[in-house]
Order: sequence, then structure tokens, then C-alpha cells
Amino acid sequence: MKLNGKTTEERIIEKHQEALHHGFHTWPSLVFDRPSALGDARWTSDLILSTWMQAETGKPPDNGLEYRIGRSGGGFDALAFKYLPREQWIPEQEVVDTSIPLNRRPYDRHISIPIPWYGGGMSYGSVGEQIMLSRAKAARQLGTFTSSGEGGYPESLAPYAEHVITQVATGMFGVREETILRAPIIEFKYAQGAKPGLGGHLLGDKSTTAVAKMRESVPWVSLFSPFPFHSVYSVEDHKKHIDWMKTIHPDALLAVKVSTPVDVDMVAMGSYFAGAHIIQIDGGYGGTGAAPEIAKKNIAMPIELAIPKVHRFLLSEGVRDEVVLIAGGGIRTADDIAKAIALGADGCILGTAELVALGCTRCSNCERGRGCPFGLTTTDPQLSQLVDSDWGAERLCRFYTSLQRQLRTILRHLGLRSVLELRGRTDVLSYSRRDGQHGSRATH
Amino acid sequence: MDREQLIEALITSRRSLHKSPLPRYDNEAEGGCGVIGMAASTPVRGSHLLQALQQMRNRGNGKGGGIAAVGLDPEFFGCQRATLANDYLLAVAYLDSSVRPQVEATCIEPTFIVDATFQVPTLPDFRSIPGLEVQPPDVWCYFVHVRPDTLAQFRQQYDIANSDDTAIEDEIVYQNTYSLNSAFYAATGEKRAFVLSHGKNVLVLKMVGYGDDVVRYYGLENLRAHVWIGHHRYPTRGKVWHPGGAHPFIGMHEALVHNGDFANYASICSYLAQRNIKPLFLTDTEVAVLMFDLLHRVYGYPLEYVIEAIAPTTERDFTLLAPAKQRLYSMLQAVHLSSSPDGPWFFLIAQSDVRKRAHRLVGITDTSMLRPQVFALQRGVATIGFAASEKQAIDAVLESLSREDTRFWSCADLYWNARGGSHTDGGAFIFTVQGDETGNTVLQCVDKFGRVIEPDPTRHPLNTHSTDGHSLVRHKATLQSLLQQELTAKELFEQICQRMPAWDYDGVQAFLDVLEQTARSDDERERAIETLTLLMDRRYSIGTMKRSCLLAMFDGSFARLVECIRDDRSPVFACIGYGDQLPEYQGMDAALLIDARAYPIEGNDSLARAIVTLYQRGFRRFIVAHTRGHRFIGCGMGVLSDNVRIDVYGSPGDYLASGIDGAEVIVHGSAQDQIAQIMKGGKLVVNGDVGQTFMYGAKGGDVFIQGNAAGRPLINAVGKPRVVINGTCLDYLAESFMAGDPLHGGGFVIVNGVSFDEDGTLRDMDTPYPGGNLFSLASGGAIYIRDPHHRVTDDQLNGGQFAPLTVDDWTLIRPYLEQNESIFGISLVRLLTVDGSSHPPALNYRKIQPAGHKALMPEEAWVRREA
Repeated sequence: MKLNGKTTEERIIEKHQEALHHGFHTWPSLVFDRPSALGDARWTSDLILSTWMQAETGKPPDNGLEYRIGRSGGGFDALAFKYLPREQWIPEQEVVDTSIPLNRRPYDRHISIPIPWYGGGMSYGSVGEQIMLSRAKAARQLGTFTSSGEGGYPESLAPYAEHVITQVATGMFGVREETILRAPIIEFKYAQGAKPGLGGHLLGDKSTTAVAKMRESVPWVSLFSPFPFHSVYSVEDHKKHIDWMKTIHPDALLAVKVSTPVDVDMVAMGSYFAGAHIIQIDGGYGGTGAAPEIAKKNIAMPIELAIPKVHRFLLSEGVRDEVVLIAGGGIRTADDIAKAIALGADGCILGTAELVALGCTRCSNCERGRGCPFGLTTTDPQLSQLVDSDWGAERLCRFYTSLQRQLRTILRHLGLRSVLELRGRTDVLSYSRRDGQHGSRATH
Repeated sequence: MDREQLIEALITSRRSLHKSPLPRYDNEAEGGCGVIGMAASTPVRGSHLLQALQQMRNRGNGKGGGIAAVGLDPEFFGCQRATLANDYLLAVAYLDSSVRPQVEATCIEPTFIVDATFQVPTLPDFRSIPGLEVQPPDVWCYFVHVRPDTLAQFRQQYDIANSDDTAIEDEIVYQNTYSLNSAFYAATGEKRAFVLSHGKNVLVLKMVGYGDDVVRYYGLENLRAHVWIGHHRYPTRGKVWHPGGAHPFIGMHEALVHNGDFANYASICSYLAQRNIKPLFLTDTEVAVLMFDLLHRVYGYPLEYVIEAIAPTTERDFTLLAPAKQRLYSMLQAVHLSSSPDGPWFFLIAQSDVRKRAHRLVGITDTSMLRPQVFALQRGVATIGFAASEKQAIDAVLESLSREDTRFWSCADLYWNARGGSHTDGGAFIFTVQGDETGNTVLQCVDKFGRVIEPDPTRHPLNTHSTDGHSLVRHKATLQSLLQQELTAKELFEQICQRMPAWDYDGVQAFLDVLEQTARSDDERERAIETLTLLMDRRYSIGTMKRSCLLAMFDGSFARLVECIRDDRSPVFACIGYGDQLPEYQGMDAALLIDARAYPIEGNDSLARAIVTLYQRGFRRFIVAHTRGHRFIGCGMGVLSDNVRIDVYGSPGDYLASGIDGAEVIVHGSAQDQIAQIMKGGKLVVNGDVGQTFMYGAKGGDVFIQGNAAGRPLINAVGKPRVVINGTCLDYLAESFMAGDPLHGGGFVIVNGVSFDEDGTLRDMDTPYPGGNLFSLASGGAIYIRDPHHRVTDDQLNGGQFAPLTVDDWTLIRPYLEQNESIFGISLVRLLTVDGSSHPPALNYRKIQPAGHKALMPEEAWVRREA
């Protein structure tokens, strides 16, 4: 039955959408205390709410919400910048450049992005199509990239192909020459920081008919991507794998995504020899909400240790400036991005932060088929209608714009004219211990 | 003194070697490599090893390479044969020549009597080898025997009475080498000299460069030896590369090369440390051979036990062993399991068996089949055996050898893959060269359990018979008139098949000569190629000739036809090679012949990219001749490559037909690893075997394999691939298969478990599936396995279940078996025949379908009230 030209279902969805959008707008400006059940020590309620504000206004909040660090007492929250005195700041009129190259080798296509981050892989199935579209639209708008994740390449993303990275993961879902040929960057996902060594999981009730169709598998059956590529058990196999992609699409750039084991520096070196342009190290703070509890945050090296380790090793091997090092895993704010770069990365990957910008409250129900109250991590036909991709793209664009503004401010206050100059500048970082005291030495 | 006491004494005697505490076990990143080994009943020249290593360069990065040779030719060294047999060949590498007097004075003279010295010749300037950046060490060979008073003193000091002199001498040499290396080659300090090898009749040479450059730099092209192993390294740590880190590493009288990277280096070091053995070079390969030496020389284990300790038999394979073996292996595993290398590895060992005056090549594979390996054997007047990372490397040696020595020909009799820890052959093969009772040197190949691997001994190779001149002339005349007839290639082939059993090689060669002579026009040439192709692909009776010799002859004829086509420059049947300008498509139904030989194996200039360019220009029909390990053939054409047909001859490399979406690719021979990965659609035919991870992540396509698949075929495949494998698979067939419902458009695999014998008769295998993991965790698709005697059992399944073959199933798979028959000549009637009588399909074929495993379908399982 239709009323005002809409079916009951459409009206229900519209009503929910309005309620959600009202919430995203109102909660950050609440005059009484923060909602006590919202967030955790890493993603505090302030960080979540300030992300919502930035996604709406395009600037950081000015009502007292903390938008720079969380309360975890460790990781990036224990690092602070040693800003210069005011007279040494770069004036507002002067240009501060936030762009980075994605290929530092002297050959192959040279792509640059105006902001030092791009969207990390979130597969079709782990999130819905409209989320992927939002990210693709925003990536195009801002001149950066988003990754398709390992679930295949929805056709609706094809118009944005110049800004979509296609992922080749261990289950080879959706990997076809057709999709490889579309992508300017091909990303090999060997591991993810949320659950290193465990492969991918998409539990049965998220493996909807639409997802199964995309992956050509059986609906409602849990899908496991194996922990290794079965064709890659040795570094020369990895090189062969990269050569395979190069044979199909010689002009594409190649990114290798790994987690952070103890020998992550060797892994990076092996990838360099094999011909990769980008090495993406994925730490344990982020990653899919659907990872097994036993794995989450418990395996592999924290990203703030892995970044300088890889950076310094590549420097000592004399190849640092031929490789682009991208860090990911729980990057939340402009400060996190700047800290990661100061530790030695060229740029960052954002994953969870984008979902938070679209309304995620970190309730950790992602692995259920209809668990996400905001229609983000679901391909359920009804729930996924809660997010309109133009609305989503707008929010992501504004969020990115706000991050870029803040990054520029940080650089100005450090006397730097370009984000490239910040790389490896651990001397501008100070380490603050849990008890609130600040050490004067930079972290190592 | 019994063995146990001797072992104790030897281990105790090493305590004094290690005065410093245990070092931090920070081993170098190893990773990957390419390896090749060969053993021949007649000594072969190093130049042939060079060919194989050169072709496998893409498996290394030039930061380390090495070779070992066993059963050496005394002429190279200018010494007596007896010296080689009796003395230790102490080969010392000097990175700093000035240190030689000191080394000799402190580490050689005191222990040994030097009977002869020899400086290994080198090229005058290392920079004359392109890409070689580091000066290789100078190598001096000292032919020595242990001083009698040193021997006596050792005996007395460690109270070793009544025992073989050689056991003590070996240990003295071993410890002396350790002391020399510690003094002159500290792993983290100054590197001035180190011992390359010290066994009898063994020589190791290695440097910072590719393995083939080792042969070039040290002039080994003309060194003859019975056993060779070679290696390219791909290390990933350290700016300053040092030759001591390259492979091979040595035990006592053996050298080992290794492809892989195992994870438990630290625990193996602990195990060795408990026996007073400490590694010096910080690589996992070194501890592997130290372990081998401990088990073989000190503990005196026969090879079978050593292999079991390194690659233990477990799980289902263990249950299938005889009870006596189970008892024995349990004991070995109780002591050695924690020190067996854990991770991907493939070892090649070149060994000098001093006591038996034999030379040996041993290949051992890991129990999870994580590294590729191929073994091969050719038996003629001389015999040669191989083990290598890729088949194309073996074929490169045979091609090189056969051009120089007519006792060899370009195709091996047998090629096979191995599964480590299997109950069938143990995944380990041993090639032993030894003198027999009549004084001839012979080579024998056995598996881990001692079973002999042997091509059919009743068949004779080329050149041992000849037909008289008159009958050859008549024979040729008959053939000429046959070829005048208006026969199709198929008809011609059938005619030849009928006659061939009565022919000998001369007769076959006569036919080939006539075939080539009468191939003048495009049509005649096309028919000639088609006929030859059928002769290469199909199986038929061949009298007492060897199939491998015939294949070599067919290859030769094919090569000559290709040359004719190339010279003739016909527009409809053109031929190009590397360096020729790629032609424009003229709009006709042209077939393009490509001579693959000089094309790079991979990269922007590769054969694979050339095919893509030609495809984009409009060409659809390709004949690729003389492949030599060329990779990625058929990749890169993109979506909807229908109407493309690529015929591939020679030894194609990895990733062939991966990702094809409509094209037809036909391999006239065997293919290697990673074939047809992510294949979307189209057709693939392989007239032979395929290697590892065949059709990994495949999404569709119709595929027909005449022989076997190695490990992990069709793993993670989805959609609707439809595959017929006539032989069997090593293991992990269709793990995580997700290919829907075969009866409603999904995918399936038919496994027939049959193979052709050399006379073209189809034989049933002992079991259609020997592995322990069939259809594991599959959620879609099905396996149709030809198993009339129900040899496959439930314990081999893990998430699959047997189901009766229904009429619908048979309606589905029958057309594929019919197509299989028309492609390979494997008769459906024969497949339905068991023990001489014909059976209905349901009694021959069993269906294996997903069982609705709880781990995969928790919701469904709950609804169905599964336990």
C-alpha cells in the first residue's frame, strides 16, 4: 500500500533514516554529559562525536569535544607533538602541501594523491554496496583512492574505477582479469592486522545471496579466505605473483598489504625486491569488527613500533626512497595520521574512521548479518537502505576536508611546508607516560 | 667399541670447540630460491648445469648462488683418480688472499698431510660477467689425509678404541673446518676465509652472484662429475652480501641446497646445541645439513630413517604403514619430531658415499607440499636422474646434453611430483651412481622405502637397432604414397598408429622425413603439424620403442617444420620470433606461429605480453613453439577472449592460462605450477600433468587433464568450473570448493584414476586418490570419482560425504566424459569396464558432495538440529 507515493517499507526506512541523521547531528552538541556507553578507550565518545561533527561541518569541533587523541594510555595516545613557539609557525597565507606520491620508483606510472591517506579494503559483504559507493564517490571528489577489499568489484563502482583499488586476497574472491584491468592500483592482501595469520572470515549470515552472487559461492555459507596464498609459500613465489599482475596490467601500481609480524622489515624488503610500489603495514588496533575475539589486538606488533622498524630498515638498505610505506590499523584522527608519518610512514589507510563518519558507534556487532543498526556493515536489503551513497560521500568529503585542515595546522606549527618533510621526524614527537608525565626524549 | 659409545665420544669431543656462549639465533631471511640436481651414470659437464640455472634466474636475485659436484673428474684437478677417492678434498675460499699462509700454517699443516694442492682457475676479471658486483673468493683445493699422530692423539684424548679410522678422521676434518671457519669467518665480523667443502670427491663453489655465474667464473663448464646440484638464492636482508651465506652448505661428505624457509630455526639450533653443534652462518639451510650429518654420520641412521626424522609420516599416512614401520617411525618421531624443519622446504643433497664408492643425489620434500619439485629419470645406454624446482630446468639440461652426447635425448622417460611423508613413496627419492659387478657404472633410483623407480626395462632407446637400407627405401615409398592420399590428419594418424608397432626408430624417422618433405603448401604444413601433434599427445602401441625417444624425434620434426614455415613467410601461416616486428592483423583467418625461444620468460618484453599485443591487434589463432619455462602464457587478454585458440608446445612455465575468459588453450605436453588460476571461462586441455595449486580460485571453464595434478588443485574455486582429471592428485583436491550445485549450473571435478602404460593401454591406479584430504571444508560443487572398488574411504573426507550417483548426475557428467574421449582417446566404455566386464555408471562413479559442515553453516546446522 502506498502513501504519498511510497510503500510502507520505504516510509519506515525514511523514518529511521531521519531519526539517525537527527542523532548524528544532535549528539555532538549535547549540553549534558557525554553518553557513558558510547565508545571505548581508543575510540572515546568524544572522538566518535567529533568525527560526526566533522562529517557534517568539514571542520574540527569548537565546542570542547576532544578530537585529537583517545584515552587508551598507549599507542598514538601516548605520543604528543613538540610544537614550535608561535613566532616560528608557518603563516596561514603560505601554502602547506599535503600531497604524497604513490610511486617512488623511477619507472612506471606516477600517481600522487593530494592528501596522505586513502581508504582501506572493506569487502562487499563485510559492508554494503552503498558504503563502497560512498567511499568511491568521496575518493573521486578528493583525488584519492578507496580499496574494494576482497569480496569482488561491484559494477556500480565502475564509473569511479580511476579511484578504486582492487584487492587480490587469498580467497581470490571476485578476482578476474576484468577487474584487474580496471584498477590503477592492485593491492595484494597477504594478511590483516586484526587477525594476522588467520585469513578472512565472512560468517554465514553475512554471506547473503547478493554477496554469494558476487563471489560466485554458495549463499548463507561462511566464507573463509585461507591464511596464505596457496600459490605463494616463498619470496620468489611472491615475485612471480607480482609479475603475474604486471603481465595482465603492466601499467598498474602494485601494493602489498601485510600485518606486523616480528620480521615485518624483511617482509617489506622482500616485497621491494619483488617489485611492489606500495607496502601497506596493517597494525592490530583497527581492522574488522568481525575478527575473532582471541585475535583482536592480541597478535603482532603495535603499529607505532612497526612503522619506525620498517622505515629504518629500508633506510639502512638504501631503498627507502623507492618504496611508499603506508600504515593502517586504527588510524582515527589527523593527529594519528601526522604521528604515523612522523614515525616514518609516507601515508595512512583509513577504515573504521570512515565508518564512524557514516554513523558507526563501535557497537561491535559487525559480524552479524543484521547486526549493524546504521546499515553500514550489512548487505541486508532493508538495512542497507539506511545509507544513501550521495549522503555518505558528502560526509566523507567533509570529514577528509577537516582532517586535511588539521594536518596543515600541525605542519604549520612544526614549521614544515610539506607533509613530505614530516616523514621520519621522530624528533618532533614526545612520549607521555600513563601517569601523565611527558618524557623529553623522542620515542624510538 | 659399539656405535653408542662412539656417538657419545664424538659428541663429547666437540665440547671444546665452542668456548663462547650460545649466540642470539637471529638468522638471515632466507626465502626463496631455485634448485636443480642431477645424477648420471656417466660424468657430465658443468656447462649443462649452467643451462638449467640460467633458465631459472627468475627464482633468485643474484645475491647468492652456488654449486656442488660429486664424483669428480681427476683431469680437471691434474691429480690421480686414487687421490680423489682416498683424500679429503679441502676446498678453502679466500676473500682475502693475504691470509692464506696463516690459514695453511694454523689450520691445515698441523692436522693434515697435504698430498696435492690445486688453485681453481677463474676468469681474469670478474666484471666481465654482466651483473656480477662482488669479487668472488679465490679457491684453493688441498688434497689431504689426517696425520697419524693427530689421529692417535684424538683417539687417546677421547678414549676411542677399536673403532674405524675413517669415523675418527671424518670427525677430525669436521672439527678442523669448524675451527678454521670460526677463526677466519666470524659471521658478524671480518670475513677472510672459509671452508667450502671437505668431503672426499666433493667440491662446493659459491659466491655472491647467480648460480650459473659460479660455473662461468670458475671455468666449470668443462669439469665433469657424476652428480651436480645448483642453487640461486633470494635473500632479503643485509646490504653486504657474503658468499658464506650462499648454498650449498656442507655436512661431511655431502652438500645441501634448499628451496624454502622454515620457521623453527631456533628450536633446531637448540636441538643441535644439546649435541654440541653450533651453526656459524645463521641460515636455516646450514642447520638442515648439520642435522643430516648428525643423523647420518654420527648416529649412523640409514637414509630411510634420516628422511623420516626430517619429513615424518603422520596422520592418515601413518595409519596406512605396516605395524613394524609404525613402531619404528614412532620411535624416530619421539626423538626427532621437534627438530624436523617446519615450513616450506625442498632439499637436494649431493653425497659422496665413501664406503660404497658411490655418488648420490637425494631429493626430500616437506610434508605439506609447500614447495614445487619435479623428479625425472631417463634410462638409455647412459642413465640420468633429476630433481628440480621446475620441469623446464630439467628439460633445459636434457636439451643441452642431447646436443652434445647422443646417449641422451631431449625427453625424460619419467617425470613425477612428490608428497613428503606419504606412505606410498615417502616423498623422497634417491639416485645412486655406483659400479656394478661387471665394472660398469650404473644409476639406480629408489624411493624412501627402497622401492626401485624404473622405466620399462624391456624397451630399447634410439640407435641400438637399425633397419637395413633396402627395406627403408621400400618403407619410404609406401609412406610417400600414403601421404599422397586425401587423408585428414586424424586419418593419417590412425594409419600410422596401426603400423607403428612393427616399425623401429629408423622406420619412424623415415616417416617423419617423408612428412616433412611433402609439407610444402600451407595446408600440407597444417596437416603435418596436426599429425605430429596427435602423435605427441595420444597414446598408442609403440612396439618395444621408448615413448620418450619418440617424443624427442617428434620434437625434432616439429622444429624443422617450424623453420620451414618461418622461411616461407606465408601470410596465412606466418611465423615470428623475438626481435621480429610484431605483424599487423590483415583480417584473414591467419594462424600465427611464435618461436618462443629467445623471448624473455616474463616482463614487459615477454612472450606472454607479445601474445596480448597480437590479440589486441586482432589475431586469434596462435601456435607457440619451443617454450622454455615461459610464464603467464594466455594471461592478459581480459574479458571475453572467445575465439582465441593457443596451442602450446615445449616446456611452458607457471601461470599458464590463468584468468582466461573464453579462450581455448591446449598444451601438448605437461604444464607446471599455478595453471589456470582464477580462470573465468573457456577451455583448457593439457596432454600431460599439471603442478601445484592448479585452478586456485577458478570461477569457470571446461578443463581436461590427461594425467595428474600435484598439490591443492581447485582450492577455493567457485562458480562453475568443470574439470576432468584422468589421473589423480597428490592431495587437498578441491579444498574449500564453493561451486554451487553442479546439477543447477555449478561446478564439479571428475577424477578417473587411470593412466596409460608405455604401450598405450589404460590401467587403473591402485587407488584413485591416495591423499588424506579430499574435498575438505567444501560448501559447493561435487567430486565424481571413479572408484568401483571403493578404495576411497570416509577418513579421507573432511566436510564431504559420499552420495549415490543419480541419473541426473550421469546426465550431467557423461557429455564431459565423451568429450574427454574425443580429446584423449580415453574410451568411456573402457572407463565403465571393471575387471573385464562392463558396469553401469553408478557402480563405477561415486559422488562426493558437501556435508553441511557445522563450522561453515552454523545457522543451518542449528535449524537442522545437528549434534
